Amino acid sequence: MQYALLVYAPPEETDRAARPIPETVAAQLDRPEVTGWARLHAAESATTVRSDDGVMLLTDGPFIDSKEYLAGLILIEAGNLDGALATARELLQPTRPGTAIEVRPVLDGRFRGA
Amino acid sequence: MALDAVFRDQWGRVLATLIGILGDIELAEDAAAEAFAVAAERWPRDGEPANPVGWLVTTARNRAIDQLRRRQVLAAKTTLLARDLETGPQPPEALMDDAAAISDERLELIFTCCHPALALDAQVALTLRSLGGLSTDEIALAFLVPFETMSKRLTRAKRKIRDARIPFAVPPGHQLPDRLAGVLAVVYLIFNQGWGGGRVDLAAEAIRLGRALAGLMPDEPEVLALLALMLLHDARKAARVRDGQVVPLDDQDRTLWDTQQIDEGRRLLHRAVARGRTGPYLVQAAIADLHLHQPRDWRQIAALYQTLARQTGSPIVEMNRAIGVAEIDGPEAGLAILDRLDLDHYRYFHSTRAELLRRAGRDGEAHRAYRRALDLAQTEPEQRFLAERLAETAPTAEAEPGRADT
Repeated sequence: MQYALLVYAPPEETDRAARPIPETVAAQLDRPEVTGWARLHAAESATTVRSDDGVMLLTDGPFIDSKEYLAGLILIEAGNLDGALATARELLQPTRPGTAIEVRPVLDGRFRGA
Repeated sequence: MALDAVFRDQWGRVLATLIGILGDIELAEDAAAEAFAVAAERWPRDGEPANPVGWLVTTARNRAIDQLRRRQVLAAKTTLLARDLETGPQPPEALMDDAAAISDERLELIFTCCHPALALDAQVALTLRSLGGLSTDEIALAFLVPFETMSKRLTRAKRKIRDARIPFAVPPGHQLPDRLAGVLAVVYLIFNQGWGGGRVDLAAEAIRLGRALAGLMPDEPEVLALLALMLLHDARKAARVRDGQVVPLDDQDRTLWDTQQIDEGRRLLHRAVARGRTGPYLVQAAIADLHLHQPRDWRQIAALYQTLARQTGSPIVEMNRAIGVAEIDGPEAGLAILDRLDLDHYRYFHSTRAELLRRAGRDGEAHRAYRRALDLAQTEPEQRFLAERLAETAPTAEAEPGRADT
């Protein structure tokens, strides 16, 4: 069964895009149970599209305005929630303090290589 | 045996087996409810079957098969069920006489209900519903929430178990201590909720759950110790309140104590001690036992609270140690411990402090502490008890000796 791990990161000083993925994190992403992942640009790069009574509205910034921001998305394969939580725990290890991972079961979907 | 009794005793057993077969709590629950309804109609007329559990499981399984056929979601079910779906329902008699053929999967069920991915209030509700066999209505009343709220809480939890695939399994060895601690915490929480009063006897429910766990895990000292602890506390139930007032332990009528329950608690405590591991429930059960002796051995009680404080790091445990220390070294020694604790929100902290202040002759401060305790008190007997003490410590009234610990 597929689970999506939504990685929320605390605010950071340095430019995210200029920083390579830390080796420890990269090693985790190479694990066989990781079926896909996406690292996202900083929240300031977000644009949100909404429909208000059929009128398209664009806003600058993420939909949910919070201190922590959605930093990435990792798809994993696991037998059950315990398996998914164990993988999430290991993926969390090398991340910055204050990072949190939301584990969500995938209902259905299709993923193509980036 | 009355059907109600069978229901209460066998609901958890039947439900657990069905979840094992069907892999879906909601489907299993609906099917079990239907089977019990059929039993309620037939058994009084035709007599109770030789193996009630087998009859109920088979009947429920057949109902579930019908249900699945109607829904036509036949995929991803067990092979056993797939075969049954082809051949059609079996007569209940197939499993009727063979009790051994029905596996007991209540342990799997309780570990699922108490999975840490579920909110604590959902764990409690689900455990009472699934293993305790309480109705949603009864659970809602016991926790003083509207029926709708409790119903939603249960439904959400069951959906999460299904959608996120929370395993229906006893956790592997390396996870077992943590997960078992979670299960025991849920049972003890239910027990303590029982003290607060409510229409369902939650303390009795917790003891029933504790007995089931002790039967399923007879070698786990903390499981035995928790049951011992609950039995030893609960044994004094009839003596704790007189004329709507809390009765301090030393003033309780000991003839009202349930000696059979005390004996059972002590036997369990000895069995747990013999296993040689000293967990927090074992220490608490040992303390509960010491409190039943006359006169009380305050030195041992204080020493055990110290052990418990080290294990749990809980300020409430430190507060209880202060009571023991006050008995040995005087109220000021106890107050010195209390002054280090940050428990301003805790109602028993203020009543304990007030009592020690009073014994130390600091009536003015005692009066203020009783006032604070009364503001935080939650049950009527507590309020009456504290109001009386408040009046006694009022500047004009004269103090009389007594104890606040119950």
